[in-house]
Amino acid sequence: MDQFLNIIAVASADGKKAPGLMDPNLLANITGIVVFLIALTVLWIFVWPKITQGLDDRNEKILSEIKSAEDAREQAKTALADYERELARAREESSQMINDARAQAKQLADELRAKNEKELAERMARATADIEAAKSAAVSDLHAQAATLATMIAGKILKREITPADEKQLVDESLAELGSRN
Amino acid sequence: MSGSLPLFFYVLWSQTSMNLLLAASGEKHTPLGHVLDKELLDVGIIGTVSMQLVTMIVGTIILLLLMPAVARRISTGSSAEGNERYITKGRLSQIVEVICLYLRDTMLVPVMGEKDTRRYFPFLMSLFFFILTMNLFGLVPLPDIQNIIFKFTAGNDHLAYIGGTPTSNINITVALALVSFVVIQIHSFRELGVLGFLEHMTCGLTKGPKFLWLIVPVIFVVELAGLFIKPGALAIRLFANMVGGHVLLATLLLFGADFYEALPFGGLAAVTAISGFAAVLITFMEVFVAFLQAFIFMFLTAVFISLMSHHDEEHESHESHEAQGEPQVVAQAAH
Repeated sequence: MDQFLNIIAVASADGKKAPGLMDPNLLANITGIVVFLIALTVLWIFVWPKITQGLDDRNEKILSEIKSAEDAREQAKTALADYERELARAREESSQMINDARAQAKQLADELRAKNEKELAERMARATADIEAAKSAAVSDLHAQAATLATMIAGKILKREITPADEKQLVDESLAELGSRN
Repeated sequence: MSGSLPLFFYVLWSQTSMNLLLAASGEKHTPLGHVLDKELLDVGIIGTVSMQLVTMIVGTIILLLLMPAVARRISTGSSAEGNERYITKGRLSQIVEVICLYLRDTMLVPVMGEKDTRRYFPFLMSLFFFILTMNLFGLVPLPDIQNIIFKFTAGNDHLAYIGGTPTSNINITVALALVSFVVIQIHSFRELGVLGFLEHMTCGLTKGPKFLWLIVPVIFVVELAGLFIKPGALAIRLFANMVGGHVLLATLLLFGADFYEALPFGGLAAVTAISGFAAVLITFMEVFVAFLQAFIFMFLTAVFISLMSHHDEEHESHESHEAQGEPQVVAQAAH
């Protein structure tokens, strides 16, 4: 401690005039207070309101930007979910439509096939009936021709003229007989 | 990075010039001789106008010229500027903005709460930047430059009118602590009222069991002493740190002067180079200390203010401390 005080004393003696390290100086006290209060007043009025406002504005801006970004992200997520849902529904609908179309096409094909088969069957039946009718007619005609021919032959054999009324009677009898045989 | 190299050479030059000047003078110097204030005008019983007092006034003028310009750049302009108005232009403005934002949101709000921080932000920031300016002013070797000039012009290498660190003057740090003391007391009376203040001074023991009344006077005296010790500690801490740093710098630089007669030129050059280089490193540390001490003075004032707030607010701030961690440690250290 003594050494420290000696240093201070030497230091005080050194130079023009150096006040001691711990010397009280009322003028320095008062000046310090006054200068600081002046600085405080000026800074309080002209500086800190602007700086505080600036900091708050930036803070607000950053928070609002973050909120906007979060909102945009939420909106994007919602839009994506909507889009995916719509896409899934569209896929399902298209799949359904394809299946329906396939079913309809199959049904149509079946119907057409059935109709064709029916028509074919009908045509075949009709054709068969026509054939049968033609056959019957041909057979009848053949019988009539044969009867006529036989009558003519028989008339020639019997040298007897057969009248058309006889011929008709013979034919009818032959046909009736043929019909009974069939 | 590009700016740090010229800064390094500037510091090296300034410290070496001081070193060479001291060495060339060939006189016996003490480290304190270089740190002590210089009297310029004796005004009798009131005191003396000194070099550090002039430095404080000039430093304040520079602070008051710079800060409004900085504030203009930090403040957001008109909406016509678009998003550009949110950009702070200029390095000094950006540094001030970052410091303000960090101190407000990270250090002050957890300790004082939102409301008190808004109320005391201008005072605390003014305190911080005032002390910081004074601390940094001390790192500019103005007295040494004047010593060199006056050595060749007036033949006096001890003459200097401006320079030094105003915050290494106990009278100035006491003045600042006195302002802090007044603000703390105004806050405590405003928040607690007279009865609440007295209750705080007795740690609430008057509401406890009767036998505790015996220690109330002791507690009151201790608390009363604490009212003055806290700002007193602020003043001494700042003063001692500023003096200590500069004494260390001067000690390092005086090696050359001490060995001026004992060593040949080569040895003297080596000692000068080594001590000069060490002084450069210490100077960089002093820059950090300048910021740190300004912060500590401001922050402890904030802690002392918050200690005088209502208990619910204290509770709130303690919860915030727990969330923050570091401020709690500092707050506890302040107790």
